[in-house]
Amino acid sequence: MAQDYTEWLAINVLNDQQLISYRSLSRALKVHSNLAKQMLYDFHRKQNAKKPGAVHATYLITGTKLKNVAQTNGFHSQQDEENTVMQSSPPLPSSSAPQPDDDTKTEAVAVRTVMVAKEEHLSQAKAAFQSITGVHVYSLEVKGLSDIQSLTECNRKILVDYASEDPLEVWKQYGTIQNPNVMRRTQRRQPPPAATAAPAKTKPSASTVKPAALEKRVSKDSQDSKPSSKPTSAKATSEPSKKPSNVKRQGSDIFKSFAKSKTKLPRTDSQSSAAPSPKPVVEDEPMTGFSDEEGADSVDDEVVDAAADTVEGKSKAEREADLQAMMDQEDEPMEDVEEFKAEATDADAGAIDKPFSQPKEELKETVQVQDGRRRGRRRVMKKKTVKDEDGYLGKPQPKPTPYTVNKLGANEHIVTREEAAWESFSEDEPAPKKIKVAAVSSMQAQGQKKDKEKDGGGKGGQKGGIMSFFAKK
Amino acid sequence: MANDAPTFRSLVTHFTDFLTVAIHTILYERNIYPRTSFLSARKYNFAVRQSRHPKVCEWINDAMAAVETEILKGTVERVAVVVYNQALKPTERYLFDLSRFPIVGAADADVPLERKAADGTTVSVLPVVDIEEQFRATMSKLANCGTVLRPPPVDGTFTVAIELKSDGQAPVSHPQPWMPVEAATRQGATELQSRRTHPLRAVVAGDLMFESWIEETPAAD
Repeated sequence: MAQDYTEWLAINVLNDQQLISYRSLSRALKVHSNLAKQMLYDFHRKQNAKKPGAVHATYLITGTKLKNVAQTNGFHSQQDEENTVMQSSPPLPSSSAPQPDDDTKTEAVAVRTVMVAKEEHLSQAKAAFQSITGVHVYSLEVKGLSDIQSLTECNRKILVDYASEDPLEVWKQYGTIQNPNVMRRTQRRQPPPAATAAPAKTKPSASTVKPAALEKRVSKDSQDSKPSSKPTSAKATSEPSKKPSNVKRQGSDIFKSFAKSKTKLPRTDSQSSAAPSPKPVVEDEPMTGFSDEEGADSVDDEVVDAAADTVEGKSKAEREADLQAMMDQEDEPMEDVEEFKAEATDADAGAIDKPFSQPKEELKETVQVQDGRRRGRRRVMKKKTVKDEDGYLGKPQPKPTPYTVNKLGANEHIVTREEAAWESFSEDEPAPKKIKVAAVSSMQAQGQKKDKEKDGGGKGGQKGGIMSFFAKK
Repeated sequence: MANDAPTFRSLVTHFTDFLTVAIHTILYERNIYPRTSFLSARKYNFAVRQSRHPKVCEWINDAMAAVETEILKGTVERVAVVVYNQALKPTERYLFDLSRFPIVGAADADVPLERKAADGTTVSVLPVVDIEEQFRATMSKLANCGTVLRPPPVDGTFTVAIELKSDGQAPVSHPQPWMPVEAATRQGATELQSRRTHPLRAVVAGDLMFESWIEETPAAD
């Protein structure tokens, strides 16, 4: 780090009179956040030693506070110390609300609080805490800060300036807090383009799963991992591409919590391929069966990525056009993809993602032609499309496919997927089912369609359970 | 604002929207109204303060509508938000110089504008992204102006004034929204010298160009 941080801070804080938070400093100098906090502290101390009041600081205090909750009406009383201090709503207060039946009149509840305070209010803020676990400098500004809200601008700037950095790579450098239970497929595209891909990928987490799932399915269909891997990879690539976007979008997808750990991932894959329903939720359900696959599929990601790239080429506009043209048959980049497309088209006339839209169309066409194995693949494609579609909103699919009956808004995606797989299996598109089952069974090294069917059916059922809750309609 | 073809009217509307937010911010910063009567809002992707009092909002909106009418006539040179102290003497002025606005006749207010660069390529007349960014920067500076100015007057009040171009027609129509004031409020040289000026920002976004600064009258007494 060296002295360049002093120089950098002098330029930005003193000369440019900007508001610099420890996060902006860490991103700008590529240092760990904790180091940035120390730098801020050091600079603040030195500048004020030279000239008192030269630099103003805000502090972040974390600790526990005691909140007295009146029992009289169960009303959760808020105690705001300073109105200039921002207080994050702690998770506990809500629990303190309903306690009218407790015997005690008032209850002091320890609330974990994170507070940002200006330096002039620091001692006052600290006094309000019952116990303090940490204090550090949050930001520096010259000449004081009138509206503490303006600190939000720092974060917005970071988002914009450093959008190209992938959080998975740089988290170590910056010290971003990580959740070990969160899994994200490593296949990712450039974050900025993810915007377009986002709609395509309903589930970000699914990205990894997708390739895996796709591959699985593909392999199942063909009963040959190798031959199917190609189409799968094609699909997978599209899926992974979607996934990154999904990942981003679904970062905080509520459905993640419903996904059974890995199942989410597989879901996205299945979804994208199965039905164009963009609903991310839908994806969750089918995922259940694929959780196992995800782990194993990671290896396939690379292959999938390659394939996906080709498919991802389409822009959203293209996809939409493709959707329209779904009914019509369009060329697909890969022959295997065609198969998938056909299935997909059948399943979701409307929701198919662009990249998949093409495959879907073909799928439709090829549905008939293909034998069981082929169909399976197409199914996969369908699902993908669904995912890639417009995200969770999932357009109403004007699919002419018989499978569309399952559409239930949010459930559409899932249901259709499941259904498609299921139906395809029985109706000429065994692929989806196969794929699903294949995915699962691949884990078990069994490529029976039966399994798929079961899985498909099971998944559908699951989806219905949860999806109905989140159904848009 | 027109996505395809910005008109002069849309340009002016952008400006008056910005001015509305600026006035709310000034009211918050200078404690004209209690800070608790403001809620946090978001404008131009930036956290701003907005007054909750309906009368205040109504007054500001009316003032902006009147300003817009005048700008469309092309007679306005500057818009000023003046803060008074309790004795009704101005303590500070927030000025927005509009002399660089495009001069468009009243009848052409809705005509789509287009600008061509020297080499014939079309240049954007109203780049929305640029505008947002510049407005955001101005708001950010305005929000922090409280730290550079003197403490605000207690129980002060404010108003909006426009300074017309020398060849402009004063707005003295029947429902008179404006009150004519003598321009001789500018005192002698000494006072002018002791008046402190703090630049805010010169916004240049396509054809929307204006400058803004803060003038502080010398400390009274």
